[in-house]
Amino acid sequence: MTIPQPLLEIKNLHVRFKVFEGELKVLNGMDLVIGEGEKVGLVGETGCGKTTTIKSVLRVLPIPPAMITAGEIIYRGRDILKMSRREIPSLRRGEMSAIFQDPLTSLNPVFTIGQQLEDIIRHSLRNQGMEKVSRRNIRSRAASLLSETGMPDPERILKSYPVQLSGGMRQRVCISEALRVNVRLLMADEPTTNLDVTIQDQILRRLDELVEKRGTSILLITHSLGVVKHLTHRVYIMYAGNIMETANTRELFLHPLHPYTQGLLKTVPKLTGKGISTGIPGRIPNYLDPPTGCRFHPRCEHAMSVCKEERPPFYSGGDGHKVACYLYRS
Amino acid sequence: MLQEILRVENLKKYFYTKQGTVRAVDGVSFTMNQGETFGLVGESGSGKTTVAHTLVGIYSPSGGEALFKGKSISMDYTQRAKSLKKEIRIVFQDPGSSLNPRWSIKQILELPLRVHDSCGPKERGERVRELLRMVELPPDEYLFKYPSVIGGGEKQMVAIARALATNPSFVALDEPTSALDVSVQAKIISLLLELQERLNLTYLFITHDLSLMRNMATRVAIMYLGKICEVARTIEFFQSPLHPYTKMLLSSIQVITDEEEDLKPKKIISRGEIPSPVNIPSGCSFHLRCPEKMKICVQVDPHMVEVYSGHFVRCHLYPGQAGA
Amino acid sequence: MGVSKGWYKFSRNPLSVLGLTVLIIIVLAAVFAPYITPYPEHAGPFTNFRESSLPPGPKHFFGTDTVGRDVFTRVIFGYRFSLLLAVVVISLSVPPGILLGLIAGYTKRRSLEIVIMRVTDIFLAVPPLVLALAITAMLSPNLLNQMMAISLMWWPWYCRLVYSVTTSLRHEYFVHDAELTGAKKAFILIRSILPNCVGPVLTKITLDMGFVITLGASLSFIGLGVQPPKPGLGTMVADGAKRLPAEWWMTVFPALAIVLVILSFNLIGDGLRDMFAVEEI
Repeated sequence: MTIPQPLLEIKNLHVRFKVFEGELKVLNGMDLVIGEGEKVGLVGETGCGKTTTIKSVLRVLPIPPAMITAGEIIYRGRDILKMSRREIPSLRRGEMSAIFQDPLTSLNPVFTIGQQLEDIIRHSLRNQGMEKVSRRNIRSRAASLLSETGMPDPERILKSYPVQLSGGMRQRVCISEALRVNVRLLMADEPTTNLDVTIQDQILRRLDELVEKRGTSILLITHSLGVVKHLTHRVYIMYAGNIMETANTRELFLHPLHPYTQGLLKTVPKLTGKGISTGIPGRIPNYLDPPTGCRFHPRCEHAMSVCKEERPPFYSGGDGHKVACYLYRS
Repeated sequence: MLQEILRVENLKKYFYTKQGTVRAVDGVSFTMNQGETFGLVGESGSGKTTVAHTLVGIYSPSGGEALFKGKSISMDYTQRAKSLKKEIRIVFQDPGSSLNPRWSIKQILELPLRVHDSCGPKERGERVRELLRMVELPPDEYLFKYPSVIGGGEKQMVAIARALATNPSFVALDEPTSALDVSVQAKIISLLLELQERLNLTYLFITHDLSLMRNMATRVAIMYLGKICEVARTIEFFQSPLHPYTKMLLSSIQVITDEEEDLKPKKIISRGEIPSPVNIPSGCSFHLRCPEKMKICVQVDPHMVEVYSGHFVRCHLYPGQAGA
Repeated sequence: MGVSKGWYKFSRNPLSVLGLTVLIIIVLAAVFAPYITPYPEHAGPFTNFRESSLPPGPKHFFGTDTVGRDVFTRVIFGYRFSLLLAVVVISLSVPPGILLGLIAGYTKRRSLEIVIMRVTDIFLAVPPLVLALAITAMLSPNLLNQMMAISLMWWPWYCRLVYSVTTSLRHEYFVHDAELTGAKKAFILIRSILPNCVGPVLTKITLDMGFVITLGASLSFIGLGVQPPKPGLGTMVADGAKRLPAEWWMTVFPALAIVLVILSFNLIGDGLRDMFAVEEI
């Protein structure tokens, strides 16, 4: 498996948060690569640092209390972390966008959808140097963006306020906003977790279609393995601020190597009715005083003494499949 | 030995708002036996949470009857006997708001004990520790903590311990793990199953996660816009679903093994959004989204019919003698 | 919530810490006024026309007024009245406001809720100064009556604040749980709902202190509050106003004193708000 031309490369990212009790050492050397036109999944449970990761890429981490203590985020050859404040907005307008989990808080409640969408379109056009686009033109663009996401009756939606829409519709609006311009990278943080199953299904399909059509790369962040299985080319499994395993999606589900991945797959309830496992023993670590070495070792049934000492590097499981686990040292 | 513990007959709960009447629960009937887990499945607006809240006593019904161990419970908590409050308990959907942020865990668990047991403070303290041990939370660590510093999974464990503090016989579990990660969910579910066996509990289990329901419930009912569409024993519900909505829901779930994929009904692309409960369509409320819509569906609301033994459907595709 | 953690959150705002420091100094100065001021006897009926209308200098930091009294001393004593007013008004108006707000917000009897809130609305509809004026003018103008008048129109704000917190909390799951468990209504109000009102109420109290002091000074300014020869800050501003701009110190210093105490209360308000905020990372 060759990763196409890398679009985004996160290298050895370390992020800490300063709190009353001390420092939360959340990200502990995060590595991630997304290629052009690739659909990549980032799977991890609550508190593993996924949201901190996207916020670092978008440079919206509140610094202080956050501190980026090491690492690089290379986007199209340039390190985002080293960019000046003035360069960041154009990055956000034209190159990357994000969809977050709760569409209600992502939309401004006191403006209509039309006002918000048109504003965003106008800004991104300006960014591309196209200043003099007429209002009517912008409005029709907004309407066509909405109908692309499967929204019935876009004209009515443009005149509505966010609270008048259902969760599914709001999320579709957020998707339209995110794909307003041909961004190269879309980061979606649990985009459908709060929505009903049938709506989730519809929205994820649409998102998939839109992304394929435009050749946008997408980083889909979720804790749902089912979603990732059907919508991504490659997956990263994250735990407590580190990547534990990464592989092509199909390969990962067929041959999960890392004990954490295996544990996760076992805990998903199966439609076959075979029962649910008792979960992975232990709890997610306390970031104030995280485990040394491999952060998963306190919960791992295969833990060896070397696991406590140093964080394992990535070992190859063949064909782009990488595991950060000493069990695969050969 | 199956003993009926709960009987719900044509239960209705309407809310009167400025926009119109919300028929949250519109004629729901089912029975539950001691020791079983009855599952209630549905999407937002289906009314499943309102059913639980009405049975538990947050609301009094707008119509219909509910009987617990033969006695009527068709009223809200202000009119219920104290003994009833001991027996029927609930674990709420959102762990974040089900625990008072200003109380310590000790205080949270002590409240039901103070109201119902007449033991002294020392005994209460011991009982609280016992409750924490029962949900596998070390008492010394958790007794004096506040909800804001513990995780969602742990909060739910505390909520479960609180529900079980009065030795109830019936517990309503409203999406107890929806907000939690898979691994935490697994721990809580296995705990719930173990406790059910040990303490002979009857569960009303509500979730939108069908894969989870497959492994929890003995019987499943699916609701849409305030009415039950289909009820059956779990295996039948999943292997031979009858109602188009059931099939639509089952075909939409994201599964991770090919084995499971084969079990799903043929893919039905779900169309449309769930209508607002103030604006319920005429006839069969599902007709706007139904791939098998017929002329009669727009005009007449179907009755519940027993198609196979113990398997009921409410759909014009299965006409027949009305029965329930 | 631990005390030290609360302080940590509060101290994230350097301005709030500054406000707190200044306030503590003012309070201590007011309490120990007779011992720390150079001319404590000037805070009452005292005249010394030979030393009248002197500009600020080493012997009189803030100068003297038209009858020869040291302005600095009178300002410090003036703080006593202002702080006393604030404390008394808050003590008198907050508890009934909270109680009524809790009841109105939680009761299932709509009629009770409506009655309480409409009465509150009536009091709120009258402009504060007008109401205080009317009451004080009806009774004889002095500090005591001023305090009662202001208290009478202050409680509705707390009623409304607590009412809105209560109505938003009464549908929370933890309140439902207490009800379903069988806890008594009074218990739920006082132990479940009230503790969650503390944050907004405390923040409002600090901001209100500033308003109350201003209101008191305004009333004194027009002669309806602290009566001469007592050194009320507002009264002093009024008296000195006649001597502007030549003998500016008689007005400016008391006015600045008012500003200083209000500012410090407001700065503390910010820190308090952060202290009660829920943490999220």
